[in-house]
Amino acid sequence: MSIYAIRIHVFIVVAAIVASCGIGQAFADSPSITAVLSNSEAAVGETIELQIRATGGRTADAPEQIEMDGLEIRRTGTSQHFEMNNFNITSSVVYTYTILPLKAGTFKIPPQTIHIAGKSLTTPELALHVVDSSGSTARSNPGTADQPQRTAAGKLVFAELIVPKKSAFVGEMVPVQIRLGFDPRSRPRLIDGPEIAGQGFTAQKLQQSGERIETIDGRTYTVVSFKTAIAAARAGKFEIGPVKARVQVAVPRKSNSQSKRRSPFDLFDQDDPFSDPFFADPFGQMNERREVEMKSEAISFEVKPLPPKAPAQFSGAVGSFTMTNDVKPTSLQVGDPITVTSTIIGRGNFDRVNAPILEDERGWHKYPPSSKFKQDDDVGISGSKNFETVISPNEKKQAVPPFVFAYFDPAKENYITLRSDAVPVTVEGGNLPPPSVAAASALPNSSTPARALTPAAPVENKPADILYQLTEQGRPRSFTPLYAQPIFWATQIVPLIALLGFCGWKIRQSRIGNRDAQRVAALQNEEVDLLRKLRRADVSPREYYAEASRIVRVKTALASGSRRIDPNSVDIETAATAFELDKETRERLQRLFERSDELQYSGRQNGTETISGENRRDIMDLIENLRA
Amino acid sequence: MRIRNLLVALCSAAICVAAVSSSFAQSDAEFAKANQLYSQGDYKQAIDNYLKLVRTGEWSPALFYDLGNAYFRAKDFGRAVLNYKRALALDRHHPESAANLRIARDETRALEMQPSWLTRHLQFVSLNQCSIAAAAAFWAGIFCIAGLVFARRRSTGAIMLSTLSFAFLAVALFAAYKIDNESKGLGIVTGKDVTARLATADNASTVLVLPAGSEIKILSIRGDWTYAALPNDQRGWIRSKDAESVRL
Repeated sequence: MSIYAIRIHVFIVVAAIVASCGIGQAFADSPSITAVLSNSEAAVGETIELQIRATGGRTADAPEQIEMDGLEIRRTGTSQHFEMNNFNITSSVVYTYTILPLKAGTFKIPPQTIHIAGKSLTTPELALHVVDSSGSTARSNPGTADQPQRTAAGKLVFAELIVPKKSAFVGEMVPVQIRLGFDPRSRPRLIDGPEIAGQGFTAQKLQQSGERIETIDGRTYTVVSFKTAIAAARAGKFEIGPVKARVQVAVPRKSNSQSKRRSPFDLFDQDDPFSDPFFADPFGQMNERREVEMKSEAISFEVKPLPPKAPAQFSGAVGSFTMTNDVKPTSLQVGDPITVTSTIIGRGNFDRVNAPILEDERGWHKYPPSSKFKQDDDVGISGSKNFETVISPNEKKQAVPPFVFAYFDPAKENYITLRSDAVPVTVEGGNLPPPSVAAASALPNSSTPARALTPAAPVENKPADILYQLTEQGRPRSFTPLYAQPIFWATQIVPLIALLGFCGWKIRQSRIGNRDAQRVAALQNEEVDLLRKLRRADVSPREYYAEASRIVRVKTALASGSRRIDPNSVDIETAATAFELDKETRERLQRLFERSDELQYSGRQNGTETISGENRRDIMDLIENLRA
Repeated sequence: MRIRNLLVALCSAAICVAAVSSSFAQSDAEFAKANQLYSQGDYKQAIDNYLKLVRTGEWSPALFYDLGNAYFRAKDFGRAVLNYKRALALDRHHPESAANLRIARDETRALEMQPSWLTRHLQFVSLNQCSIAAAAAFWAGIFCIAGLVFARRRSTGAIMLSTLSFAFLAVALFAAYKIDNESKGLGIVTGKDVTARLATADNASTVLVLPAGSEIKILSIRGDWTYAALPNDQRGWIRSKDAESVRL
C-alpha cells in the first residue's frame, strides 16, 4: 500500500468520526438535568454525595459550592460520559458534590440552575434528613458514591464486646473480651483504642491476647482479641461499652474510569467492595486509606450490692482466695522482730486485697506490711499476693496469734473469713502478764474475729522506764563526717610529705649512682687509650714515662672504688697502698715516677734518646701486674 | 628581741588555753544546772537549758541523751526519739541512748525505716572508721607503687600488697558511701500522728499516718513541705514543721 493510499484511508476514517459526531449531536436528545443524593438520611459529621447529571451537552455551568445553613456542600469532582445507543450518542456531565452535615435536622437543598447547551435548566429540590451522630445506626440503604465506600468500610471491620455474665457484685472482677475483626485485604492499622466506654466501673489495663484468622458469614477476617477485667464501683444497672476504636483501612478509590464503566449510583457491587478492580491492581495504586471508627454494641450489666454485715476484717476483697502463713523466727527475745509472711492466692480484685490482720494485737508491736503481687494471667485477676508483716512482742508470748483475712465470695454469695493457725513461739526476756478472764477469751484459737472481741481489761504491765541522766558532758563531737572535716584532709599532708621525701631520696640515690658509673667509665677509657699509646714505638721517652705514670694513677683511682681518689693526686704511697705492693714492685714504681718527673721537669726531654725494648717490657710488665 | 617575741607567743597561748578552759567550765556549769532542773522535775526549764547548750555547737552524745530524757519526761516522745538518735549519730555505740530510744519508740509506736541488707551488715563499723581505713589503704597502696617504680626488681610482695591495699580501699569507700547515704537525710517525725500526703496540700490523699518518733528520709524540701521516703517503701509530703533532721 502506498503512502498516498494510507492517507486516503485515514482521511476517510476521520471524516466518518467527525460526521458521526455531527450526526450524534444532531440526533441527541434535548438537554436535561437530574440531581440525586447518595442517601436521604445521614448523621452529623458523616459525608454523603450529591450528583448532578446534565445530559445533552459537553459543558455546563455548575456552581463550585452550594451555600446552606447546616450543610457544607462543595464540588469535589466533574466527569464526562458518552453513551452510544443505536448510533445515538449522548453526552453528559456529572458534577459530584460532597455534603457534610454540620447539625441535625431536615434540610432542603435548593434547586440549582445549570446552563447547558444554551439552555438554563433547574435541578429539583432535594430533602436530606440529618440525625445526631448517636443515631447514626438507624441509617440503611446504601446508595451511591461515598456511602458505598462507608458501607464497604463498615464491612471491612467489626468490633465485638464479650462479657461472660450479665450481673455481678460490686467489686467483683468480670473478665471481658474485645474482638476487633479486619478484612485482611484492607491492610488495617489501629490508630486509637480500643477502649470501653461507660461509667460506674473500673477496667484493668487492656492486654492483647491473640490474633487469628476466622471465617464469619463466609468472609475471612483477621480477628485481634483483647482481654481485660472490669469491676463495678457501685450497685445498679449499667451499660458496658460500646467498645470504640479508630482504624485506618484501605478502601477502593473512586476514579473517573470507574465512573465511565459503572453507573455513579452503583460504583461497587454492594456486597463486597473488593470485587472492585482496585483489588486486582497488584500495587494497590487505586486504594485510599481512610479512618474508620469501629464501634460495638453496648451491653447491659446489672451490679448487685454486697450483702450487709461484712466482717470487721473485710477490706473490699471480692473473689475466691486461700491463705498461707509463715512465721520466722520462732525463738526470740522480747522486742525482737518476727516476720510473718502471708500469701493470698486466688482470683479476684487483688488491688483491694489488704494484708491479713493480727487477730489479737495486744502485747505486740506491729509494723506496716509490705506487699508484692505476682499475677498468673494477662489482666491481673488471678495470682498470689505476698505480704510481709513485721511484729515484735512487747512481752513474753507463747504463740503468734492467728492472722485473719476476710473476703466476699460472689459464687457463694457470702463473706468468708480465713484464719491462720496460731504459731507457737518461744519469747524470752519478759514476764507473762497475769492471766485474766478477758485475756483467756482472746486466746488464739478463738473463732471470733479480733475486732469483735470484748475489750480486755488493761493488763498490769508496768512500762519500762528510761535510764538515768548522764552527768559528764564528754568531749564535743561533730555531726559532720570525718571525711568532710578539714582536719581529715590536712592530716593527709603527712603521708603526702613522706611520699614526696621518699621519692626525692630515691631519685637522688639514682643520680649519685649514675655519676659514679660515668666517672669509672671515663677512667677505664683513659686507661685503654694510654695503654694503646704505650705500645707504640715512636713515642718519646718523656711522653712514654708521663703516660706510664698516668696509667698507674688511673689504675689506682679505679682501684680505690668508693673512696673516689682523684688520679691527679695519686702518689707512690697511694698506689702502693691501693695495690698492696711488695717492696721490689714499690721501688720499681718509684723509679717510674721519678723518671717521669725527671723527664717532665729537666731539660732532657727534647733529646733524641729512645727507650730500650727491655725498659719498655719492664714498664709494661709493672703496669699490667698492678691489680687490686 | 627574740625573747620578747617568745614571751608574746607564750602569753597568747596562755590566753587561748584560759579562754577555752573557761568556755568548757561554763558549758559544764550549764550542763550541771540543766541536770539539776531535770532532777527537780522542771523538765521544761531543763529542756531550755539543754537547748542553750545545743545552740553553742558543743555537741556531745551525753547532751543529746539528757535532752532526750527531758523530752521523754515531758511526754514529747517525738523529740525524745530525735535526740536519742542524735546521740547515737555522734556515738553509735552509746548504750543509754539505744536503750531509751527503744522505750521511747515503744511508747509512741514509731515506725522505723528498714535498713538495707548491706547496712545491717555494716553495723559494726562507723563512717569515720571507714574513712580512716580508706585513707590508710590509699596511702599504703601509693607507697607500694612508689616502691615498685623505684625498685630495680619488681617485688611480688609489693605488687600483692598494693593490689590488696586498693581492693581494701574500694571496699572501705563503698562501705562509707552506703553508711553515709543511709544516714544522710534521716529525719524524725516530731509531730503527733503526722499525715504524709501525696501532694503538697492539706486535702491531698493520705499516704501514711506517722506516729511521733517515726523515721523518715528527707528527700527534698519545697516551701513548708518536705518530701520524704517513709517506712514501708512509701513516699509522701509532710509539713516541714512536723519533722527534723537528725544531723545538725
